[in-house]
Amino acid sequence: MALKVSYVKYGLIGTAAIGPIMVIATVGLFVFTAPSPAELYVLMQMMSPTISPMLGLVAIIPASLIAANALVGEREQNTLEPLLCTPLTDRELLVGKVLSSFIPSIVLLLGSILVSEIATISMFLIAGFQPMLFPDVAGLVLLLTAGPLMILAMNSIMILISGRVARVYEAYQVSGASVMIFILPMILPMLTLDATGGIDIEAVWLSNIITIIIAATLFVVTWALAFSRFNRDRMVSLV
Amino acid sequence: MVQLDEVTTFGLTKNFGDLVAVDHVDLSVPAGTIFGLLGPNGAGKSTTTRLLSTLLRPTDGTAVVSGFDIIESPVQVREITGVLPEEGNHTIYPSLTTYENLEYFAKLYDVPVENIPERIEELLTFMELWERRDDKAGELSTGNRQRLALCRAMLHRPKILLLDEPTSALDPIAAKRVRELILGLSKQYKQTFFINSHNLPEVQRVCDRIAIIDKGKILLQGKTQELRSKLLAKQKFRIRVVGDIEKSSSIAKSMNFVEDVKGEVDSILVTIEDPTENNSTLMQSLLNDGIKIVEFAEEEATLEDLYLEVVKGRDA
Repeated sequence: MALKVSYVKYGLIGTAAIGPIMVIATVGLFVFTAPSPAELYVLMQMMSPTISPMLGLVAIIPASLIAANALVGEREQNTLEPLLCTPLTDRELLVGKVLSSFIPSIVLLLGSILVSEIATISMFLIAGFQPMLFPDVAGLVLLLTAGPLMILAMNSIMILISGRVARVYEAYQVSGASVMIFILPMILPMLTLDATGGIDIEAVWLSNIITIIIAATLFVVTWALAFSRFNRDRMVSLV
Repeated sequence: MVQLDEVTTFGLTKNFGDLVAVDHVDLSVPAGTIFGLLGPNGAGKSTTTRLLSTLLRPTDGTAVVSGFDIIESPVQVREITGVLPEEGNHTIYPSLTTYENLEYFAKLYDVPVENIPERIEELLTFMELWERRDDKAGELSTGNRQRLALCRAMLHRPKILLLDEPTSALDPIAAKRVRELILGLSKQYKQTFFINSHNLPEVQRVCDRIAIIDKGKILLQGKTQELRSKLLAKQKFRIRVVGDIEKSSSIAKSMNFVEDVKGEVDSILVTIEDPTENNSTLMQSLLNDGIKIVEFAEEEATLEDLYLEVVKGRDA
């Protein structure tokens, strides 16, 4: 059965809230228990490459769920046929469906970043410390470049899958498996931590660049696949 | 240059694996007519409609809809066709209001934004749904949802309306209302209707041209009245009698010019060859055997008779 709008709405807000809650809990723990400002700043710098990608990950999960529901949900609701009868081209339909899952996901991602930054600055000020960004600049660059690219790549492939399965739950199962592929590059910055928990800031930027390149490649490949394999006939034959 | 009819198919074929759903169908529907495609469930009616609306791509052959080839120009075909899918009342967005359902599709059909409110009001008023415009579509009755689905198909003023079983799942009153709407729309907007149905009386009441399809093949097509007269050379008569129906039936059956006899509660239905010559003989025989005749009247040939005749002929 297709997802009810209210379930989707609250589910997404709940999922998106996990990221900021994690950030606020981590930052709060360090800010209010740190023995000195110097140690706090070092700790925060170390934590940023580990925690920042989590905000991106929690935005990819709702994106995949909305996209998985996009076409097969219409089919289960019996509204796919009238939609396919409109003069929309395959490309317009694909882009429309991708955007309808991309927009809420990107809003959730940006909202998570904003809430995390405001909460971090507020906690630093309350504790009497010089405020800092968390996610830091490297984390923000990663989230604002690789994040949207990953979401778009994930969405396009999920829309394609959504048009090729008969039931919403089949789409969810495939999305669960696919999301792992898209999550992996996002955790690359976590690998920049050495055995002692120290961090090499140059390695962070390098891992960011590698992640962005992987995200861009996935984006191009998945969109090319989606445009070439999008098939109205197959979608209708499954009705 | 040959002038094609509004809908013309050329060897239209669709296979699903080994199943031939539509088998080299050649149809011709002139502009402005109400065309009925008749056939039992699984005959290939819905697949034909889906091919014409470009939802499915033909395995072989093609069709030209108002000058546009369904394979070469699918977007143009979709622009000029309005489609009411099978069980159309289930194909609306239940969480949107009546108005929102139409507004959404008006935008998808590229209806100019400034014309959308006026267009929706006109259609909802015509379908007697204007008072329900702010109600959630999911709260409407089956008949009203079907009317809403019809409104959606009409929004962009299509030249051709493809209606798949427009009255299925409707109660008799709602079905009658939909039939009246089709006739009203045809009269008011001069559109071409392509209606799928297995409901023979409905097609008989509404369509001026028909085709019969079975197992994916067209068995016959033409003007409804002409086909009825052409195929039903033998006439059927209802003889209402007082007395023994079985005795009346056996008297009729004993006549060599009587092809078929069916006994009903108070009458027998007889199919007679050359009725001008033979009716009086049959009537006399019945009277001679003491049967009182209350009524001896010609039964109007129905599409059901025609349909059975054609299918019987094919199976033979």
